[in-house]
Amino acid sequence: MTAAVSAKRLTKHYGKSKAVDDVSFEIESGRIVGLIGANGSGKTTTLKAILGLIPAEGDLKVLGLDPRAQRDALMQDVSFIADVAILPRWIKVRDLIKFMEGVHPKFDRIKAESYIANTKIHAHMKVKELSKGMVVQLHLALIMAVNAKLLILDEPTLGLDILYRKQFYRSLLEDYFDANKTIIITTHQIEEIEHVVSDLIFINGGRIVLQETMDTMATRFVEVDVSAEHLAAAKALQPIDQRNVLGKTIFLYDGVAKETLASIGQIRIPALSDIFVASLKGAVL
Amino acid sequence: MSTDWNDSEPIYRQLKARVVTMLLEGLIAPGGQLPSVRQIAADFQLNPITVSRAYQELVDDGLIEMRRGMGMFVTEGAPQKLLANERERFMQLEWPRTLERMGQLGIDPEQLLSRIKKGGKK
Repeated sequence: MTAAVSAKRLTKHYGKSKAVDDVSFEIESGRIVGLIGANGSGKTTTLKAILGLIPAEGDLKVLGLDPRAQRDALMQDVSFIADVAILPRWIKVRDLIKFMEGVHPKFDRIKAESYIANTKIHAHMKVKELSKGMVVQLHLALIMAVNAKLLILDEPTLGLDILYRKQFYRSLLEDYFDANKTIIITTHQIEEIEHVVSDLIFINGGRIVLQETMDTMATRFVEVDVSAEHLAAAKALQPIDQRNVLGKTIFLYDGVAKETLASIGQIRIPALSDIFVASLKGAVL
Repeated sequence: MSTDWNDSEPIYRQLKARVVTMLLEGLIAPGGQLPSVRQIAADFQLNPITVSRAYQELVDDGLIEMRRGMGMFVTEGAPQKLLANERERFMQLEWPRTLERMGQLGIDPEQLLSRIKKGGKK
């Protein structure tokens, strides 16, 4: 299987500061990858490099192409929604669809219209008449109607209500995604993509701090509810994080056998957001 | 559909358990078709790989089968296999625990058995 994205020693400087610092990763096609990082961690810079929007050092291949030198060819098979997506305010929805149909050979008008039919957006409306959430809905409808091999979503559900968020992930999985497609998604709402993604990349300070499939995440990280009498034993096992909840201490472990941990307390699968927080503290290697 | 997963087991296991429950309750008869991976992924907002994995285990257990180009179907022998699996599980896991508990409580298996037999004749 060929890699949808392959980055080797990717580095991007803005002046003296490094936004992305010697990052290497590979994303196979058919995966849904969550790229998770705090503000200013280098997520968007990485995405921009993948899209060929900025030059970067290192070796980068996207769908087998060089995103800078072969950008036109690459854009046939990539679609993208930015976290700061803007649509012209004066344009009518109907004209926007016509425009997309004209410029993108893989745009499916029927699909776009069926997504839009699920919203309160009408074809005769102008972008400036739409609410913030509706603009995002419209944008997503246009992007998902492009039959691209690689879909890049930067904070796609920002500003959307819970109902439409769910609907969005639903149509992403039901109508858009299949084994020949690859999705890279960044979000701050880790909970909402927790079960949707197949792979995770945590990025912090321009470096990758964790890169795992969800399968290995489940075996690597374990959370244990420890009562007072086992505290010393729990600490001896070198937890990567701990927090107190209702008189119990919850320890998070990386790479400690489940059998061992079961002897000191109730074991659980930790929430991704807790692992992410631990990684921000520099505990995950 | 509710999407409450607990955090004690991987999701694919929980999904598998749900399908097993459906089969035990006879909601899908032998020969009946299961929802597609895509459908379940969308309904539960799960990665399709997770869903495929649950289905794969059910295939390995001989409870469902893939018919090329058509989808997943409950096998003819599924109810019997399921019963056999659950019996095995009872003997391997639940019965030893019950025995241990009976030991703690000082309940004599013979006594219990004769009481059940008497009760059964009523």
